[in-house]
This record gives sequence, C-alpha cells and structure tokens, in this order.
Amino acid sequence: MGLFSRFERAIDDGIGRRKLGYALLALVIVFFLWFPNDTSQSNYAKTVFISGFFYAIMSSSWALLAGIAGQFSFGHMAFMGIGAYVAGLIARDGLMFATLGIAITPDSISSIGAIVIGTVVAGLVGLVIGWLLLRLRAAYLALFTIAFSELFRIAMLTEYDYTGGSNGLSLRPLLQVADVDTARQIEYYLMFGLLIACLLVMYRVVQSPIGMFLRAMREDEDAASALGVNVVRYKILVFVFTSMIVGLAGAIFYSDVGSERIIPEQLEVLQMSLIIAYAVIGGMESLFGAAAGAFISRYLLEAMREVVITLPFGLTMADGSDAFVWETGAWRFALFGLVMVFTLRYMRNGLLYPIFNWFSGRDLIMKETVAKRKPDEHDMALPEDRDE
Amino acid sequence: MKGKSTLASLVVLLALVALLPFSVIHADGHCEFADEAIKIGGLVPLSAPGSVAGGVAMSWAFNRAVDDINADCGVQIGGQNHRLQIVIGDSEGSPERGQAVVERFILEDEVHAVSGVYHSAVGLATMGILDANGIPTVFSEPWNDNVSANGIMEYDGRPPRNADGVDHIFRISPASSMVGGVVVDWLLAEGVDNVVIIAENTDYGQPAAADEKARFEAAGATVTQINVELGTEDFVPILSRIQASATVPDVVRILVTGETSYNLTQQMAELGIAPTVDTICVTNQFAFQSEQYWENVPDGNYCTFNRVGIIPSLFSDIAVGLNADYFEEFEDIIPSFAMASYDALHILADGMERAGTISDGAAIVAAIETTDLELSQGRYYFNYGNHNDSMPADDGMPDYFWHQWPDPVVTMMQYFEQGQSSLDAAVIFPEVYQTHGTGYMAPGEMP
Repeated sequence: MGLFSRFERAIDDGIGRRKLGYALLALVIVFFLWFPNDTSQSNYAKTVFISGFFYAIMSSSWALLAGIAGQFSFGHMAFMGIGAYVAGLIARDGLMFATLGIAITPDSISSIGAIVIGTVVAGLVGLVIGWLLLRLRAAYLALFTIAFSELFRIAMLTEYDYTGGSNGLSLRPLLQVADVDTARQIEYYLMFGLLIACLLVMYRVVQSPIGMFLRAMREDEDAASALGVNVVRYKILVFVFTSMIVGLAGAIFYSDVGSERIIPEQLEVLQMSLIIAYAVIGGMESLFGAAAGAFISRYLLEAMREVVITLPFGLTMADGSDAFVWETGAWRFALFGLVMVFTLRYMRNGLLYPIFNWFSGRDLIMKETVAKRKPDEHDMALPEDRDE
Repeated sequence: MKGKSTLASLVVLLALVALLPFSVIHADGHCEFADEAIKIGGLVPLSAPGSVAGGVAMSWAFNRAVDDINADCGVQIGGQNHRLQIVIGDSEGSPERGQAVVERFILEDEVHAVSGVYHSAVGLATMGILDANGIPTVFSEPWNDNVSANGIMEYDGRPPRNADGVDHIFRISPASSMVGGVVVDWLLAEGVDNVVIIAENTDYGQPAAADEKARFEAAGATVTQINVELGTEDFVPILSRIQASATVPDVVRILVTGETSYNLTQQMAELGIAPTVDTICVTNQFAFQSEQYWENVPDGNYCTFNRVGIIPSLFSDIAVGLNADYFEEFEDIIPSFAMASYDALHILADGMERAGTISDGAAIVAAIETTDLELSQGRYYFNYGNHNDSMPADDGMPDYFWHQWPDPVVTMMQYFEQGQSSLDAAVIFPEVYQTHGTGYMAPGEMP
C-alpha cells in the first residue's frame, strides 16, 4: 500500500476528510486574520493581499454566474466599473431627480451612501441586461456582454468632462485614517471581510434550491424549463445578484481601499479575460476554487515580477551583489498562459479541483459508484454460473 | 577508463568557465564604490493595458543613464562614490498597479528616489504616496496639468502637496496645456480665422480638441469640429462636407493618431482640401516618422505637424550619442520620453550630489529646485519652487508651472520636399527654433 493510500486510510478512519478540510480552512482564515499583525510584513504585502481579495470576489462571482449558472458573460468588469463610477460621481457631483423632488448633494451623502447607490445602480443595470439576455444563449450572450462592456468603457473614456477619461476618476476615500499603517490594516480587514461575506452569501445561494435550479439551467436549459424551473426568473436573478456583488466590490476597492482611482482601461476585455482565467485555473464550478485561483494567481503574478537567485559558495556578481536577479516580469503572463493551457487540456475542473474533491470525500463516492457499475471478474469469467 | 577521466576533466573545466561571470569583481576599473548603492525606482508600463513600447524605451534610457553615471564613478557624496542602481517596476499603465509598485519601491526595495511614469493616471495616483513618504521624484512623461499643479493647488479633494513646506514631485515632460498652446499660438500668429478640427473619438482626441477649440474661440476664431472613429478608412463623406461649406477653411487641424491619421491626411490632400494656398494642413505628430508618412501620404508635401521633444537638428552631443545608441537598439529616432527619462536620472543624481545626501528627501528637493544642468533635451531648471518667493500666479503663469521644467521643446515642423526625411524638415515655430530661417511655407514656396 502506498504512502498516500495509508495516509488516506488513516484520515478516513480518524478525523475524516471533511473535518480535516474544515480544520485546514479554519487555519487558512486564521492565517489571513493574523497576517496584517506580522510586523515583518510591509504595507506592500498587505496591498498585494488586498488586491488578491478583490480579484477573488470578482472570480468567484463570475464562477457563480458562468460556472454554476452557465451564463457565460464578459460583462463582469463593466458591472464592477458601474459600481465604482457611480459611487465616485455621486460623491463628487451629487444627483438630482427634479420630478421626484430628490436631491442628493455631495455634502449630504457619505462615502458609504455613495457605495450603496453604486451597488444598487449596478444591480439595476444588471436587471436590464438580464432582461435583454433572456433569449440569448452561449456565444450570443458572450458577444452581447462584450459589446455592452466595450460600450461602457468607451462611454467612460470619451465623457472625460465627467469621468476624467483615461486620467481616471478619483473616488472619495472610504476611510479617513491619518496613520498609513493603521489605514492599511483596516483596508486589509475590510476587503478580507467583504470576500468572506460574499463567499458565504454565494455559497448559501448555491446550496439552496436556487443553486440546484441554476445548475439545472447550466446542464440543459430546455430540460430545466420543462421540469418547471422558471429559467427567465433565475437568469435575471443571478445576473442582478452577481452584478451587485461586483458593483459593491468595485465601489469599495476604488474608494482608496485598493486604489485611489479607476480608469476605463481597467474595464477592457483583456482584464475580463484575466478574471475568467483565474476562475478557470482555480475551478470555475467552485466558488472557493475560483476565489483561491484568483488570489494565488494574483500573488504569483506579483511575486514573479523578478526572481532572485542567491549565489552559493560566497560567489558574487560583477557588481558585488551575491544574488542573480532574473527579470521575469515580461514573461510572467506567458507562463500564466501556459498554466491556463495545461489546465484546460488536462484539468478542466481547475487545478484545485482534486484537492477540494478529496477533502469533500466526493472522490470516494465516485470510486464507489464506478466500482458498482463495473462487472466483477467472476461475472466476466463465468456468465453461465450465475444462472445456477 | 582514460575516456571517462577525460570526460570528467572536461565537465569540471566547463563548470569553471560557466562560473566565471560570478567571480568576485567589485571595483569598476578606475572607480572605488562605497558599499551603499543609490537605488532609484523606475516606474514604467511594461504590460497591457499600459503602453509597453513607451515603457521599454524608458527602461532602456534609465539603464543607459545608470551606465553613464556609474562609468563616471557614480554619485559623489562626502568623498565617497555611490553606485547608482535602477529598480524597474511595471505599472501596467494602471493606477492600482502603479500604487502597489510604488509601495514596493519604498517599503521593500527601499529606493532613494523615483522617476518615470508614462500614463498620467498613474502619475496622479502615485504622486501623493511618493510625496507623503518623502521620496524625491522626477516624472519624465505624464502630461496632465495637475501632476505639477497639485503641488500648490487642491486637486480631487487632495490638499496641495507643498502645504507642509516640501513638495517632492517634479516634472520635466510638458503639461498638456503647453503642447496644445504651441499649435494654437502658431496658427493664430498666422492669422487663421476659420478653423476645422477633425478629432478622433478617444481620450486623446476629444480633450485635445476641446482645449484647442477653447483657445481658438477665445481669440475670436470660428471653429468647426468633426469627430471620427479610429480605424475609419474612407473619409470622403466627411471631407466632402468641408468642400461643400460656403467658406474655405484657413486650416484643417487633424487630431487623429496612427494609420488613421495617414489615411485622413492623404485623402484630404488628394481632394485638394489641404495643404493649399488658402488652407494650412496641420496633421498629427505621427508625421514625424517620415518613412511611414511618405509611404502612406505621398501627396502630403507642405503639411505641418507638431513635435514634442527636441528636434534632431538641435541635438546636443549628449543627444546625438543617446540617439545613435537608441537607433542601434530600436532602429528609430529616440522619443522625447526616453530622453527625458535619461535626463531625469541625471537630475536626481545631481540633486543628491549637491545636497550631499542620498536619504534626506527635503534637502534633495531643495537642491533639485536650484538645478542648472545641460542634458540631452537642453538646459534644465525650475522657476517655481520653495527657492522662489513668487508663485506662478504672481507672474501670470498657470499653476502647473510649479516644479515644472518650463522649456520642454514643442515645435511646429513642415515638410517642403516630397519624400523628405523628418531630420531635414523645417522647424517653423517657435521662431527661436527655426532651422531654415523661415516660418510657414505655402505650397510651392521654398526656404
């Protein structure tokens, strides 16, 4: 019996895989909670983590939309942008509905109020887009959302009087903390908390009957409809829900939590393709897989800007340094592409799928199912004997 | 047996040869360097959505400046030579990434100064962090007026950087308004009254058109603006509108970039709209790439165009050497932002040397404010800073002149021979830079 098999047996006989998984998950959460208190880490490391949390929200919500509900949309970054731009513009210029007698002035609205409005507007636009998408499927849906995304980006680019064009729009800072270290710590916990909250809410949805309907829609929309699933309702629902999540994440992230301004280039299809790539690498049918894929990818892309190889035996370079710096910055996206190709070819459920599968115990169920379907050797050898 | 030992010897020999580059070499021939090197962060775009070509050129210029300064025994402070070291960071043209890289520069790489920045959005997003951390910075390419103006005026709710008495941000690239102003000033001096602006529908074309339109209208000129999409190939319907108008325009100003600008200029010339005796053609600065221009715009003789950065005919010895090396590497004339990046490192090194410190940001800033250096783009100095009691407004100057090199070269050039190299084209404005002793030449005229 192999070492891993013995380890598996020991876990199965002992704590159990699922419990071990929960224990490890708890450890990961504890690590993230402790990380900002590690005095050896600079604010830069926290900034990289904050960015990782943001992209984890983006990828996991896209996984819900595309991987679980089967709505392959390219409009995710646009909805994020709607949340951020609306929050920024409302906080700067206010808003007036003369006919309704509602006037929101920049002085009367807080940063949180602006973020809430940005989130609601992202949801409302998601509602309209979701309604328009009712009859679109597969490639048409993707094409429509690409067009919508580009439309929004170009609008933000050309309406420079309001949006700042390519110079970007600076959002009102969410936090007003003078001390940079304290501010970064709060920003870290804020973004991490938002990620956990979003994951829990999305997980709850996926585990509910709605999640079953969404998966049914993904597998066969017509069959789901024939079995009584209100496809129209759930399509719109998932669109609005994910639009609001990314709208909220965008409005918070660009309120000087992760970045002090948003630019239209952030909404390009290229950026959207990165979100998709993170989800694919992590596992687009798993919220946690997609989130972990995004976080790890962001971290590695940052770490791979340069690789430092310390020389052994007291050797030094010509300039006196004892390390060889390999500039991998220009190549890191190429390497990322290779990982993506490998994933799509050999591990379509994502690189993290086998790990999640193992901890969930699903692989045991699969093995058992396959074993039951397989005729045993006795059946194969002596078919006549069975009659006796 | 003998064969095996020979093979082993060969392997050992090869291994030793391979290790040679790592051998202990510390001194650079004639220079003895102090242990502490001066680290300068070079913030440039090296991946999409940033302008990678711009970032590569700027990185090249930084490395070239570092080589030159170190060959001259680095930066001399307190009788010691400090080696200069550039740490390149990829901003990706994104404010978010730019902010993260600047934090890495400051907290992990522990840089003493920063230079670079191609995209204005990155400059606007990072200048506050750099200033708050006391990092002397010389930006070499962002154009947005507020990059320097925020030194003394509030911008986007952020207080003036100089409110605490020290502003660590300098800029040696032109402010947007400085570029737009040259074209309009020249055309107004030529007496134009009826202007047609054809602008691309992008963040470059629209703000530039709005700025120039406002300047023309302030001077009493009539402006008609036509917007076009990048990538359009057939401009005849648009140009026919100009032909059909009752009055012949005095000038057609093209604010369109790339291949599209070539198509538009050629079709305009073919239709006889401009350049003509009555109508001046002002095409985009892409016309400076003369080989591409003549290939695509064979009828574009006598068109004018603006150029940002010093013109080849005015290159100093430093610029000639720099341009030659750049041409060898990229087979093109060196762009202004590469020259500015090269110069920025020299300005920082000079500031540290005169301040006698590599870590006292305020002292280095005070030294940079009194810079007087002749480099590849000309003589560098800063009129407005804490060394000068007058503010820009006191002298009737815009706020963006604060910590801004006042003399970035922005010129108007004109081809006057078919197939002419841009190295031989005439500089016609401002007068001080004229190369052929003449201003604008109507079609048929010669210098």
